[in-house]
Amino acid sequence: MPLLDLGAAIAIGLSYFTLISLTGLGGLFSERSGIVNIGLEGMLIVGTVMGAWASLEWGPIAGLLMGMTAGAVFSLVHALATVTFRVDHIVSGVVINIVAFGLARFLSQIFFGSTQSDRLPALDKIDIPGLASLPLGLGRAFQRMSWITILAFLITIPALFVLNRTRFGLRLRSAGENPAATLTLGVRVAPLRYAGVVISGALAGFAGAFLAIEVNQLFQEGQTQGLGFIALAALILGNWQPLRLMAGALIFGFAQAIPLRLNDAPVISLLPEQFIRMIPYIVTIIAIAGFVGRVSPPAAAGKAYEGGGRI
Amino acid sequence: MGDTAGTAQVGGRPKWVDTFMIQGLALAGALLFAALVGGIIISAFGENPFFVYRVLWFFSTSRLSDFGKVLENATPLIFSALAVAVAFKASMFNIGVEGQYYVGMVAAAAVAVFLDLPTVLHLPLVVLAAILGAVIWAAIPAILKVKTGAHEVVTTIMMNGIAVSLLAWALLNPLRTSRQGLIDLRTDQFPESALIPNLGSTFGLENVLPRSVHLTWLFPLALLAALMVWFLLHRTSLGFETRAVGGAPGAAEAGGISIGATQIMVFLLSGALAGFVGLNHLLGDAGFLGANYETQLGFTGIAVAFLGRNNPIGIVLAAIGIGMLNRGEDGLALVTDLPREIVIILEGLLILSVVVAYEITRRIVLRRRQREVRAGELATEKVHGATA
Repeated sequence: MPLLDLGAAIAIGLSYFTLISLTGLGGLFSERSGIVNIGLEGMLIVGTVMGAWASLEWGPIAGLLMGMTAGAVFSLVHALATVTFRVDHIVSGVVINIVAFGLARFLSQIFFGSTQSDRLPALDKIDIPGLASLPLGLGRAFQRMSWITILAFLITIPALFVLNRTRFGLRLRSAGENPAATLTLGVRVAPLRYAGVVISGALAGFAGAFLAIEVNQLFQEGQTQGLGFIALAALILGNWQPLRLMAGALIFGFAQAIPLRLNDAPVISLLPEQFIRMIPYIVTIIAIAGFVGRVSPPAAAGKAYEGGGRI
Repeated sequence: MGDTAGTAQVGGRPKWVDTFMIQGLALAGALLFAALVGGIIISAFGENPFFVYRVLWFFSTSRLSDFGKVLENATPLIFSALAVAVAFKASMFNIGVEGQYYVGMVAAAAVAVFLDLPTVLHLPLVVLAAILGAVIWAAIPAILKVKTGAHEVVTTIMMNGIAVSLLAWALLNPLRTSRQGLIDLRTDQFPESALIPNLGSTFGLENVLPRSVHLTWLFPLALLAALMVWFLLHRTSLGFETRAVGGAPGAAEAGGISIGATQIMVFLLSGALAGFVGLNHLLGDAGFLGANYETQLGFTGIAVAFLGRNNPIGIVLAAIGIGMLNRGEDGLALVTDLPREIVIILEGLLILSVVVAYEITRRIVLRRRQREVRAGELATEKVHGATA
């Protein structure tokens, strides 16, 4: 196998790592606050269509910011349903995904007059000094990289800090572990959970805009392909911890690259193309089935807090 | 509660009437809210919402053939919503109906194309193949859930992704038509013996239900399936176990019910229902499996199940409602400048408001019950106090 392919595969794997880890990190804040977020996929979808539109209108930075804002606003629906009206988290999440798909189809007709957009303007790419000139084609992995990918690696540091070293992070985690105790200390649970869900919406919306603008350079209906659920799987695999989540996102990100860039590799090339496309999904299923028994989700995640009065 | 539930009175009304009224009011409120927000969006596009809603209504009800189209649209949705609802009763989410019916269609198409049999054998075998394909696809996430604890929401979505590729592979390889001149990616035309007869032609009603309306025997079958699901849930031991596992898993296990076995059974049943979802399109309309097969029916089925409160009768009504919206969409495209996708927005608003409204009523009803129980306890105490 030519190493050039491997370099290209790493490059595309890093793109999908970016998307999965950002979305998963959002899901982490939501779930650590006690709200299960099956709606990540829908928030990604909203980010793709709104980000693509704003990118066409005002350029890629506006597109990314618009995706983030749209995701955050859209996630308020999930927060309103689960926190205020105490709807079952999975029911609400499933509905969010259905609504997002419809919304994207509707908006795409209005914005682009079809189910896909024109080519979108993207950010300038960068070559990582040193690594980009690696021999044997491996340098290809670090050439023309998106700034957002670097951001996805770096964001883990502030995320860890906020979660483990700030008052907000402590309270957020306590809302997800033991809301009754949180309330006993005079800390209201509802605003924390709203914050958790909105952070997840903002990050997933941003990741959606990244997918449309930076990875595919166009909006296309169905382009998220279940990546929101894969991010959820990365979160489970990562045991709701930011660093382990990154490891999970790397695994799933590279699995995405197999059908796109490694279909000529030994063994893999023996399979029909359609079977190669199944690999990322199969990897996800195996990972979830193999690891789920060994992780511990936030204790109160998924349970509506039934405390009386203002929570 | 059992016996007292039917006889207890709330303000002079039987309790179930009271509950029913609250739920009816909630549904009406949710419909009104969705129509209101939808109206604002429609107005923003410079159209009159009342006109738009009238068009939606008339286009789906004015002629028998229009309503036939509505029922045609409702047919797959009833099956798909029943599949979702059955799983939901045991606290499981079958988000994989989509992939399960894709695999069902592949299996059905294989039996339809490769076997040459008389109708009495061929059609049942085709349907059986669809069921079997979908059941196998449902079995994998079910077993993984019970054996490893992998949540079915993630695994079924992944199975959907795999099913898309499996269908593409089947269309490109074993099932691809060998006839010259057909460049489309599709199978051979199925023989007549594998197709499902149209209700219009069976009853000699072609003048009011033309061939373009694909209202087939699958619609009465869907109604029968709804009836059977109700019967199964409320009149059989599997149904009792299902509801026990869904309602109070701890109590169910203490009572000797195997949670895992029940969940697998229920999920396979859900898959079997999913097998029917693609059949109206496949055997009642197209007559072959092509690359432009119908998608999203599994996800719309989830919406229908939520709208119908996972209740078989509710599901049939909700499926007809969504069928009307989808039929009315054609009218909108003709007489207004609105993008036809506005209907999807209306559907979305409807599901959101209905889900929230149901949750609010559930709590109101629960609170009333609790108050009654407390009032009852208080009354008993008083009686005891008086006799002492």
